[in-house]
Amino acid sequence: MYGMGIKDIIQEFFRFKSGLFGLFLLFIIVGMAVGAPIISSEEAGYRWYDIEYWTELDLPKGVPPQWVGLLTGVSYSPTERDVIYPEKNQFGFYQFNITYDFNYDVPPTNIIIRVYGNVSKRYLMTVDLIRPDGLVIERLVDKQTNNPEYRLSVKADDGARSRILSFAKEFESEVNINKVFGGGLEKVVNIIRIMFSQTGEGMMLEKTPVLKGKYTFQFTIYTTSPQDTINEIIFIVNGASYGVFGTDVLGRDIFVGIVWGARVALILGLVVAIVSVLIGVVYGTVSAYVGGWTDEILQRIQEFVISIPLLPLLLILAYTFQPTIWNLIILLIVFSWPGPVKTIRSMALQIREQLYITAAKAIGASTSRIVLRYILPQILPYTFALVAFSVPGAILTEAGVSFLLGAQGTLEITWGRILSDAERYSAVLTGMWWWVIPPGIMIAISGLAFVFIGTALDRVLNPRLLR
Amino acid sequence: MGAASYAVFRVANAIVILFLVILITAVIMNKYMEDTILAEIRERVANEVFRNPKYINLSPEEKQELAENLTQYYIRLRGLDQPYVIRVLYRAVDAMTLNFGNAQTIKSASGSTNVADIVLEALPRTVLLFTTGTIITIIVGILLGLKAATNVASLLDRAISTFAMFTYALPMWWVGMLFIFYFSYVFEIFPSGGMVSIPPPEDPVQYALDVMYHLALPLITFVFVNFGGWSYATRSIVLNVLTEDFVNTARAKGLPERKILYGHVLRSASPPIVTSTTLAILGSIGGAIITEAVFNWPGLGRLFYVAILNGDMPVVLGLTYISTFLYVFAVLILDFVYMILDPRVRVGIRR
Repeated sequence: MYGMGIKDIIQEFFRFKSGLFGLFLLFIIVGMAVGAPIISSEEAGYRWYDIEYWTELDLPKGVPPQWVGLLTGVSYSPTERDVIYPEKNQFGFYQFNITYDFNYDVPPTNIIIRVYGNVSKRYLMTVDLIRPDGLVIERLVDKQTNNPEYRLSVKADDGARSRILSFAKEFESEVNINKVFGGGLEKVVNIIRIMFSQTGEGMMLEKTPVLKGKYTFQFTIYTTSPQDTINEIIFIVNGASYGVFGTDVLGRDIFVGIVWGARVALILGLVVAIVSVLIGVVYGTVSAYVGGWTDEILQRIQEFVISIPLLPLLLILAYTFQPTIWNLIILLIVFSWPGPVKTIRSMALQIREQLYITAAKAIGASTSRIVLRYILPQILPYTFALVAFSVPGAILTEAGVSFLLGAQGTLEITWGRILSDAERYSAVLTGMWWWVIPPGIMIAISGLAFVFIGTALDRVLNPRLLR
Repeated sequence: MGAASYAVFRVANAIVILFLVILITAVIMNKYMEDTILAEIRERVANEVFRNPKYINLSPEEKQELAENLTQYYIRLRGLDQPYVIRVLYRAVDAMTLNFGNAQTIKSASGSTNVADIVLEALPRTVLLFTTGTIITIIVGILLGLKAATNVASLLDRAISTFAMFTYALPMWWVGMLFIFYFSYVFEIFPSGGMVSIPPPEDPVQYALDVMYHLALPLITFVFVNFGGWSYATRSIVLNVLTEDFVNTARAKGLPERKILYGHVLRSASPPIVTSTTLAILGSIGGAIITEAVFNWPGLGRLFYVAILNGDMPVVLGLTYISTFLYVFAVLILDFVYMILDPRVRVGIRR
């Protein structure tokens, strides 16, 4: 039984479809972990928890992935970005149009205008909106500022809100107007939705259908000082969908988090599993070979460590020292090495009785030589399966700890912490499945990869399970 | 070693482990605990001196001095003037004697801030959810596992093995989040969390029904995630036993297959199954923290979560003690059950 070389194991392993499938899954995770800076942005990865960075990026907040339309048959407006370098006309004005072609079922969630210029004094900016039905919302934006880096969010702008509401008021019934202005809805109705709606009764309550077609935004910018220039306008349509996995309520691209989370999961899972199994194997072997009182004491120590409830202590420790991922790895190793000890010990007890060990002893081989050169190599192949089976546990524990600790947890992006944020902002009860499902699936896939590999290894090594 | 001395040895071992774990926790949390006690003392002294009509005629200096003396007195009384090692031992002994003190922010339903009250209030709720869940899981799991073992390579067998692999890698609390999404948000069949409606029904029967209604979703989650592993483990154990010689002998004798399975195979297979049963209960105590947090189930796990988030260290220490105690106690029970079930262990004891 204890005679399989590593080469035989690999050869046998490839006969199992489940093992190959496990390798395939592992390949995906490794690809993500290694390629994270290439498939997503490197800066976004490092500044995941930097809310200012994400505000600056102006992604839509809490919107589903772009492909969601394929599932529901409803088309969601994507997120688009337009950059304009305006020129002054002969009267010293900037005048230009930006058209937005709206041909989707779900209108955008916001429109953001960023103005960059060299200004010393105030400048005035107005925007009129010409809708596809020919109606005009005049002075949708009407602003004076001397800010050289001005950002305007139409959704959050009081002026735009009152303009859109008074535009809609003309088509709305008395009852609904009273509902909105008397019922305190004035501040909360979705003005962007109203902007993209057909006119008619119920318009203010978002009950009329959306109005498809070309929307023209007519910009006029006037600088009070003739020397001042406006260099760049960024026009952002925050769609109702974004990217591969959508965004969370803070406007973070979930895809970035998923990709970067693979690194932590993989490193932590593998390091914890390999180191703790190695410690356990050496410990078990020494305990079995040396025997006697040493064995007795080593067994008691192992029982002690295995009796400590892991999660509570881990939480207390993590709470006391703000953990880095390496602290967490060390803690997990400290508590998980006893796992394989009993199995390994009973294996080593059998090997100890073999004739060649007695022979080695007879010619005066030292204890360390016998353990390291004669017993361990016999056991080592079987530890591959143990390592594979330990990885999911380590990944799950890390996810759990990160989930519970949230902002007090590790500073790296982990899937557990993404789920923790999702729970904190009650993503589940507001239907933001794209914030909850991908991280969990990733945890499952990375665990599953090792379960499949481990099962295949187990079958190679214990043919009795094969029947 | 005889059975009795073996038992004594195991119990002593368990107590030592319990004490060591509490000691470690006390070392880690000593500073928080002492800060809490100092704050308590200051509050008490302020009440006794500055807000006491008896001392209204004293000058501010005299009051100050009195307060200082009283503070020193209480510090000595609580042992805070002792060396560090002694202080940590005090904390550990306090915990071992169930003297956890008062919680800082958390209160029990009756308004008590006594940690023991708070913990004892939460304990039955955790038992209700996870013990029920474990029992259902074990019954379903073992029955399916037996079925799979007697029909090797059938569709059922393959389905169970695959399902077990999938659920092994799934975090239970994440499955809980998904179930809440589907059953509470999309279909609105079950409540999304909590143990009773707010306000709770007055009528006891209504109350019980309401609790069961809230219990359903976390229970389904628990069983869903765990029964696959149980079936798979039972299958492997039973398959191993089926290759033993005595099964062949029984078959050769012409015993009916049912009798072989339930009379002979199951008896041999029971020790590892009992081990897994106990380990499952152990695991549920630790894993319950996150699942209870997700389902807002007001048991021990959620209490621990809330206590950690609020930095309510007396509650944390109390809970660590209780959960370690349950854990060590279960290991102890496991040892004894093993002694009864597995003749090899009995022989091993006498060796």
